[in-house]
Amino acid sequence: MSITYLEAIREAQAHALRDDPRVFIYGQDVGAFGGAFKATKNLAKEFPGRVLDSPISEDAMVGLAVGAAIEGLRPIIEMQFADFSTPGFNQIVNQAATLFWRTNVPCPITVRLPIGGTPGSGPFHSQCMESVYAHYPGLIILTPATVEDAYSMLLEAVAIDDPVIFCEHKFLYYHLKAEKLPSEALPVGKARIAREGRDMTIVAYSAMVQDALAAAAELSPEGWEVEVVDLRSVKPLDTDTVMASVARTGRLLCVGEAWPWGGVTAEVIARVTSEGYGLLDAPPQRLNARDTPVPYHPNLWTAHRPTTRSIAAAARNLLRL
Amino acid sequence: MLETVLEPGTADSAASFHERQLAAYRFMLLARLLDDKLAALYRGGKIHGGVFLGRGQEALSAALGLSLKKGDVFAPLIRDAAGRLAFGEPVLDSVRTHLGSALGPMRGRDGNVHRGRPKEGYLPMISHLGAMISVVNGVLFARRLKGVTGTVGAASVGDGATSTGSFHEAINQAAIEKLPLVLVVANNHYAYSTPNERQFACRDLADKAIGYGVEVQTVDGTDLSACLNVVGSAVGLARAGRGPQLVVATLLRLCGHGEHDDAGYIDPKLKSSLVGRDCLKVAEEQLLRQGRADAAQLAAWRHEVVHEIEEAVARAQREPAPDPFAEEWRAISSKQLSEGHG
Amino acid sequence: MPQIPIIMPQLGESIAEAKVVNFLIKPDDTVEADQDLIEVETNKATMAVTSPCRGRVEKITAQLNESYPVGAVLGQIETTKEEAARLGLDVPALAKASDTDRLSKSDANGGKNRVQPTVRGLPVPANAAGASYLSPRLKARMHELGLSAADLAGIAGSGAAGRVTVEDFEKFIAHLEKQRISQASTMRVTVADAMRRSWTRPIAHVGLPVCLDPLFAYRKIARPKPGPALCALRALAVALAENSAPAGRLVGTKIVHPSSIDIAFAVEAEDGVFVPVIRDADKRLLKDLIAPYNQLVELARSRKLPPDATGGSIATVTNFGTFGLEWATPIPLPEQALVLGMGAARHAPSWDSVKGQFVPIMEANLTLSFDHRVLDGGAAGRLLQRVSDLMAHPERL
Repeated sequence: MSITYLEAIREAQAHALRDDPRVFIYGQDVGAFGGAFKATKNLAKEFPGRVLDSPISEDAMVGLAVGAAIEGLRPIIEMQFADFSTPGFNQIVNQAATLFWRTNVPCPITVRLPIGGTPGSGPFHSQCMESVYAHYPGLIILTPATVEDAYSMLLEAVAIDDPVIFCEHKFLYYHLKAEKLPSEALPVGKARIAREGRDMTIVAYSAMVQDALAAAAELSPEGWEVEVVDLRSVKPLDTDTVMASVARTGRLLCVGEAWPWGGVTAEVIARVTSEGYGLLDAPPQRLNARDTPVPYHPNLWTAHRPTTRSIAAAARNLLRL
Repeated sequence: MLETVLEPGTADSAASFHERQLAAYRFMLLARLLDDKLAALYRGGKIHGGVFLGRGQEALSAALGLSLKKGDVFAPLIRDAAGRLAFGEPVLDSVRTHLGSALGPMRGRDGNVHRGRPKEGYLPMISHLGAMISVVNGVLFARRLKGVTGTVGAASVGDGATSTGSFHEAINQAAIEKLPLVLVVANNHYAYSTPNERQFACRDLADKAIGYGVEVQTVDGTDLSACLNVVGSAVGLARAGRGPQLVVATLLRLCGHGEHDDAGYIDPKLKSSLVGRDCLKVAEEQLLRQGRADAAQLAAWRHEVVHEIEEAVARAQREPAPDPFAEEWRAISSKQLSEGHG
Repeated sequence: MPQIPIIMPQLGESIAEAKVVNFLIKPDDTVEADQDLIEVETNKATMAVTSPCRGRVEKITAQLNESYPVGAVLGQIETTKEEAARLGLDVPALAKASDTDRLSKSDANGGKNRVQPTVRGLPVPANAAGASYLSPRLKARMHELGLSAADLAGIAGSGAAGRVTVEDFEKFIAHLEKQRISQASTMRVTVADAMRRSWTRPIAHVGLPVCLDPLFAYRKIARPKPGPALCALRALAVALAENSAPAGRLVGTKIVHPSSIDIAFAVEAEDGVFVPVIRDADKRLLKDLIAPYNQLVELARSRKLPPDATGGSIATVTNFGTFGLEWATPIPLPEQALVLGMGAARHAPSWDSVKGQFVPIMEANLTLSFDHRVLDGGAAGRLLQRVSDLMAHPERL
């Protein structure tokens, strides 16, 4: 019996719909069709009237969610691809994210963003948008890297009274499997030590955690023990856990699938350098995608983003410094 | 074009129509004098940021506010001082928000027309035109899911907003879901300085209704009686489950886009035409002609209203401004998830 | 009677000032609340500034065709207490331009408080690396333990280009902690730091035997009696007064010349060395230096030297002969280029060319250790020779 990352997301939504009558799901093709990735398969049937198809109107989808939240409901908006959330960007960052600040009325919406690349997905079906949203105050940004976190963090997202951008990684949907769903979990806001180490720390999030773990496994026979920190939530970012890890190892490599400028990797390094300068035995490093749109051809795609191999190479460089 | 099409719907009795007429007029007067006061305070250096008035649009706006009931939801826009007051917003809310009192509904975090009380049925606008309509849709959608019936949602936009993608998406969404939305388009001929011919190419904004699959009425926005009839009818139709109702009103903005703008670009021919009539004067003349009120009554109301405004202004001016050192500086409600970084 | 200011209002987004183009009233006029007073012009529109209350125009401070920023006071209206209270104007500065507003305006106008940068000089490369690179973490650990880079000299670095990593460092410390450890005295630590700093320069040495017979003969008749080291000190002072370049300080491409001939001498104290100074040693005769010299030695030995008795000297004399040493290579103080050393006096044969045979004399080695950046062997030799010549006539010193 095993469950995929995608099934975990579906299970969490079913659980939420079942336990809380205020929850509903709204998005393109989520109803009878079950969603482009089948994340809502059968849910429309099981919960009639609560899993509804929207027109191709990301702006109106999010606006509707905000109105519903004001009225006391807990909408989950499924964006078909993170890349398509940009037409709804205004409603997310200027309507949802400012409601509490301006009016003291919380806005408990969850926007599910399928992020990240798969071979051949191209520039408009591959983007990672966590840092773009994280930049705006008023939002919570989650980036689960495991099947267990996909489940428990989505449940927690729906329960949080503030707008949550839930970044689920498309590549992990069917590639990542687990034995079973968790019964308890770390709360949102706490990072996880995915692998204990001694010689350096790799901070990663979402699918890159898996690549970082593979790189660490590659380095172990060479005598290096690499600690891998899974951020789990990008905002709030668990600076304490990251800092404690760097205190143990003295070396930091941040890995992100997103572009370099102003990314999560930049944020982590900024915090560690300014608050934990004396913990660093070598200059902190980061590894991101190249500063171009995501290419289509798999040859270009694999060279565009961090991979297990490039992470291991960057780690070796850092270990030799 | 000043077509007025009356739809059979909620036919008010003659008595209650006249009551509504008088009530609407008084809200128009209050809105007009409040706007004048805000303009004076602005020129007197008492207001930070911009001041946006609704001069010339009071009849339409008051008609909408009055036609709604307690429990409905309203997303007013820039020129809806009259509608807000008619819907029940206290004068102090506007005065406090403009003067930056920490006791206002937005507590200094937003100002001038960007104010509201979401839980009390009026939504605080964001500056992106058209964006509030889908939020009204959401409230109505949620009520339906919850089994709450009989309420209506209204959103106010101008001719400029009809060009936005948000407007398009929201009307379409409301039509698909057959929500009880009343969308009032005040075509005041100019979006800031942009005239209609640079804003849309269709023959008449009302023609958009057929494209969206919604019902529409048009009205002379300078005529209070006509506005009360048409807007009242639209609200009634929405409440009766006929789906979204579009109302396109024709009028002229009788002030600058903001008080920093002298509206020198407005075509003088429009100003001197029927569409340029001052709806407040038109309403007064109607009331006097129809014998609903006499000059003494109007003067008395004017006097009361001036006093009400002055009291509110004096009170708000004594109130404290927001204290940056007492602020929590937190943008989310979940304290434990709030970071202190940066 | 309260005075209420007439304020330039907010004129629209991103407009910071307006020009006064017309006065609609004059001082002493009575005005009503909200009455138009002054017309101002921006690039978007012309508008009127209105009166805040009913009253009398007390004064107009704005001038025609001048521009004023938003918030500027253009004049004053005198009004009654009742009127001020009616309009809520009797409470000062509520909901008006905050202090932060005013501050940012003065910044925008290139305000008075300009900050002078304190960082000068060459750009520093951002990613320092190599054998001498000390990481922040290593520096933090060193600071914690009170160590300096010289203490790391014994550590082999395993990092890039041989740099010492924190792992190397911790292993080193752990190893040390297995040995017997005692506390170094403050003196020891201070001298260690001085010698480390001195040694960053190329130090060289020259030596010359000097005949002490003239000095010993002089001592038989002199009262009080000068010691050999003091004699050498005075001779060095005279020689440096003739040519002070050897005692200069090289900083980059510049030589900083001494301004007075102050010479220090080494006095051994428990676990370290004191270096009291004879000021203006060139200006006082040998016989006048004896008492101050002896006093300084006493003070040094009893560790009671006042602060002005040390520091500011240009060369040092050290008498290692007192330990029985004939030869030594002392290290100059870090801020000096020279240290003159004197070895133990001994009987030595000296060739007498007149008599054609060796004759016994009392002799000692004079050494000069010097910063080879400031002077070469030739100059060092000449200086040493001059000192030796002067010491041959102690009665003239």
